[in-house]
Amino acid sequence: MLNYYDPRKDAFSRDLGTPARLSEKQIALTIDGLEITVPEGTSVMRAAALAGITIPKLCATDNLEAFGSCRLCAVEIEGRRGYPASCTTPVAEGMDVTTQNGKLAKLRRNIMELYISDHPLDCLTCPANGDCELQDMAGAVGLREVRYGFEGANHLDAETDDSNPYFSFDPSKCIVCSRCVRACEEVQGTFALTIDGRGFDSKVAAGQDEDFMDSECVSCGACVQACPTSTLMEKSVIDQGVPEHSVVTTCAYCGVGCSFKAEMKGDQLVRMVPYKGGDANHGHSCVKGRFAFGYATHKDRIKTPMIRDSINEPWREVSWEEAIQFSARRLKEIQARHGRESIGGITSSRCTNEETYLVQKLIRAGFGNNNTDTCARVCHSPTGFGLKTTLGESAGTQTFDSVMKADTILVIGANPTDAHPVFGSQIRRRLRQGATLIVADPRRIDLLKTPHGGRGLHLALKPGTNVALINALAHVVVSEGLEDKAFIESRCDTAPYQAWRDFILEERNSPEALEAETGVPAAQVREAARAYATAGNGAIYYGLGVTEHSQGSTMVMGIANLAMATGNIGREGVGVNPLRGQNNVQGSCDMGSFPHELPGYQHVADPAVRERFEAVWKVKIDDEPGLRIPNMFDSAIAGTFKALYVQGEDIAQSDPNTQHVQDALTSLDCLIVQDIFLNETAKYAHVLLPGSTFLEKDGTFTNAERRINRVRKVMPPVAGKEDWEVTQDLANALGYPMNYSHPSEIMDEIALLTPTFTGVSYAKLEELGSIQWPCNEAHPDGTPTMHEADFPIGKGQFAVTEYVATEERTTRRFPLLLTTGRILSQYNVGAQTRRTANSQWHEEDMLEIHPSDAEVRGIQDGDWLGVSSRVGHTVLRCRISDRMLPGVVYTTFHHPGSGANVITTDSSDWATNCPEYKVTAVQVEKVSQPSQWQQNFQDFDRRQKDYLENAGPDATADEPAPMGK
Amino acid sequence: MSGQGLEQLVKMVNQISANMHGATDQQAADKVATHLQKFWARSMKEQILAYADDGGEDLTPISRQAVERLREVRAAG
Ligand code: SF4
Ligand code: SF4
Ligand code: SF4
Ligand code: FES
Repeated sequence: MLNYYDPRKDAFSRDLGTPARLSEKQIALTIDGLEITVPEGTSVMRAAALAGITIPKLCATDNLEAFGSCRLCAVEIEGRRGYPASCTTPVAEGMDVTTQNGKLAKLRRNIMELYISDHPLDCLTCPANGDCELQDMAGAVGLREVRYGFEGANHLDAETDDSNPYFSFDPSKCIVCSRCVRACEEVQGTFALTIDGRGFDSKVAAGQDEDFMDSECVSCGACVQACPTSTLMEKSVIDQGVPEHSVVTTCAYCGVGCSFKAEMKGDQLVRMVPYKGGDANHGHSCVKGRFAFGYATHKDRIKTPMIRDSINEPWREVSWEEAIQFSARRLKEIQARHGRESIGGITSSRCTNEETYLVQKLIRAGFGNNNTDTCARVCHSPTGFGLKTTLGESAGTQTFDSVMKADTILVIGANPTDAHPVFGSQIRRRLRQGATLIVADPRRIDLLKTPHGGRGLHLALKPGTNVALINALAHVVVSEGLEDKAFIESRCDTAPYQAWRDFILEERNSPEALEAETGVPAAQVREAARAYATAGNGAIYYGLGVTEHSQGSTMVMGIANLAMATGNIGREGVGVNPLRGQNNVQGSCDMGSFPHELPGYQHVADPAVRERFEAVWKVKIDDEPGLRIPNMFDSAIAGTFKALYVQGEDIAQSDPNTQHVQDALTSLDCLIVQDIFLNETAKYAHVLLPGSTFLEKDGTFTNAERRINRVRKVMPPVAGKEDWEVTQDLANALGYPMNYSHPSEIMDEIALLTPTFTGVSYAKLEELGSIQWPCNEAHPDGTPTMHEADFPIGKGQFAVTEYVATEERTTRRFPLLLTTGRILSQYNVGAQTRRTANSQWHEEDMLEIHPSDAEVRGIQDGDWLGVSSRVGHTVLRCRISDRMLPGVVYTTFHHPGSGANVITTDSSDWATNCPEYKVTAVQVEKVSQPSQWQQNFQDFDRRQKDYLENAGPDATADEPAPMGK
Repeated sequence: MSGQGLEQLVKMVNQISANMHGATDQQAADKVATHLQKFWARSMKEQILAYADDGGEDLTPISRQAVERLREVRAAG
């Protein structure tokens, strides 16, 4: 008897026709004489496929619910009449199925004949040739003649829709199987497609029968992947032909960390297809990961190392050797003159774990100080601080899949459908099943528009009042007796809990008392608190709208308090989940990027920890924390901090108060930037080292669910070196030896030194596909759900979360609050996505303003608006929108020239200095020209680009360069 | 560090003090001191100590207490 027990081996390489069923109950049946046992609810088609028997099919595919429209999958079942469709027929105990006989063959041939009679017979020149299920099925059923000519009515000259930059829609090839429609609904949750008309006239239509680009389509590509013919087809395949081999790797865009098959022709990447075996994405993706990979081969890639003595002169192209020696010499000279602590480095949240680990090691061991930080500073540092203080570990508690068991989903300051699209689709799936949604956000996010089976609540709070809101929610929980007493008693420390409870019960924390502060009606707060606390499973997801505030850390602790008070921790369906922005924010934090923590969040002041690292690194480690990014900037301006090594980050664009950052960068004697493009920071650099994309290296990324995923090299690095090799060269040139020959050796060292990683190795990753840390003796296969039995610190620690209003308040001069966010098609500072066709969705950053605020200022849609704050002034175009409350304006920061960060201030989170991006008091008025900053930016940008274009081979190669700027 | 850098440090301590709570002022100040010891760079601690020596006039009372506590913690090593 065949037993279906190993989903990994089989399920991901073939299409099993219908989705898996997870029932415990097993059903035994016979198919073509073979006995097989499968979970109850499985279709006959899937059962057959698992037994190795392929039943012809067209409308079924295993990531969509069966639909039963093509009838090609007909089978005979002993004791049943007719020819039931195997895709829609569930198995039954003792069933006896025949999949092949003369009658079935004839039936299938007739069906195929009808399909083919309305299908162009240009297979040889069709882009899907060799990758077409219609073709395969014609072969499989043995179709030999088509009796109906093409003279009758047909769809052969229907027009192609080429509007989407990445895929085309050629309706003449459509067989109306509706897979695309179902993919858009079930997988993506956008509902952009419909089947219009009936019978022969039925056809696929986007939106209100519009072009794809004009419809609500978000270009996720799920329909393209689902289409069995070449009707919906990637343009890259039309241009380059069908790929010949593929490599499984991980998306380098957002913290979802989708697994992809990179489908290749030689070393050319033809398309990215989300991998069914990926535990984070289960075969789905968004427009960025699937389509926006063209930046990797963009002409702007930096291909040669370059150096210069001052930022006011052109670049000189040099060899790797020369660039590394130049950098090392500069760093050593500066340390000799200004002291050991006068230099530092910044690790990347986009590079691999191994690369990040190596950069912080270079700094701690090679530079001899702890001046290391990462761009996670500006996004999720409060998560690390807040969760470590309360729950004992700096990471989210769940898997993404856990949301499928949540009854109430509370989303705070996050916009998953844009910033974490694949997880956004999963939330939508759960909402369609009836879960309650609560959104706490100043802006009405798209998740609230989901076709929904249950309740949806929007708490539209004023920017900067998060802590007041979370306290009000907790007040309701405690005062209305909704606490989980048993959980608190067994899992949480008593004294801190009592202190918190007394505090939260104070009348000033009631929703009524805080209504004026937050702007959220008390009744809504009460309803939301009840919905969360009494749901059964309440799950919290939060994003940068929580962390990027002056009380970011307090808010994270407030969230943990709420989850502990209601017992929503330690099982599936609940938890506290930070949604990480960039792909490897979790990993860069885990790998010891922060100045006070060695890898694995181990404090540098702990002698036992240092001793272990010192034994392996063979060097003394400084026992005091180093400088954080903002402190580095302040010290640079003050003249005590002189050199910085930046790998794969663009601090000049992503950090707040751009003017201040620019002043700091121009104060440095040596700025070494390693990046794939001339980013904004590189314009201030003295050394430019070419970086490599995720396609050009081996390594691992860790996503928002602590999942370590492999990144696999599919093409050689354009400049010849993977990023970790460059760091290693620099270390060696500085006299600190590093001799890794592959990133797997770096991972072995990480496993040796990091208690939560002891079980991680490339071999284990190969075997399991991915691993969620902690992975050690106690959890050899990783830990999907954290804190099941206890917390790493033993008992959970409640923290008193006093609301302290931000100093960034509206005044007569600056009467509006600016808050910032992101959109789907662009990624972070946009260096990658702006170099792809994704720009067709987002050509510029716009300022969204409420109709009433626009009216009093005489502002119209599309006007140029001057936006000023107490630190700067910029100009953006206007979009009138009522997604925010009156008094709140909103923008994104994907384009450097728009200067959104020229106006954000250097206010920051009290505990971690994470900048307060989400609240800036501004004034807005109509203007006719770009701001002074923008004019300067354009001049500087032009000059630096000229320096790059005119870069020539180094004429003075052997002369030691004089110091200077 | 220049005036601007120092100003920033003072602002940072005061902000930490405003956000850390304890049953008594001394408890709150102890927490702030622990926070500084744990998260601040050596140079930053030295500067704030020097500033307190010079009178530290812009420090809030809790911050002042915290910096004194920090001095003790560091002396104890
Ligand atoms: S690309 Fe995605 S959103 Fe657009 S129609 Fe296809 S499935 Fe729907
Ligand atoms: S476009 Fe493709 S998936 Fe959609 S109905 Fe036509 S053939 Fe089927
Ligand atoms: S950007 Fe995020 S959601 Fe989109 S494919 Fe990449 S990892 Fe997945
Ligand atoms: S595959 Fe079963 S009806 Fe189409």
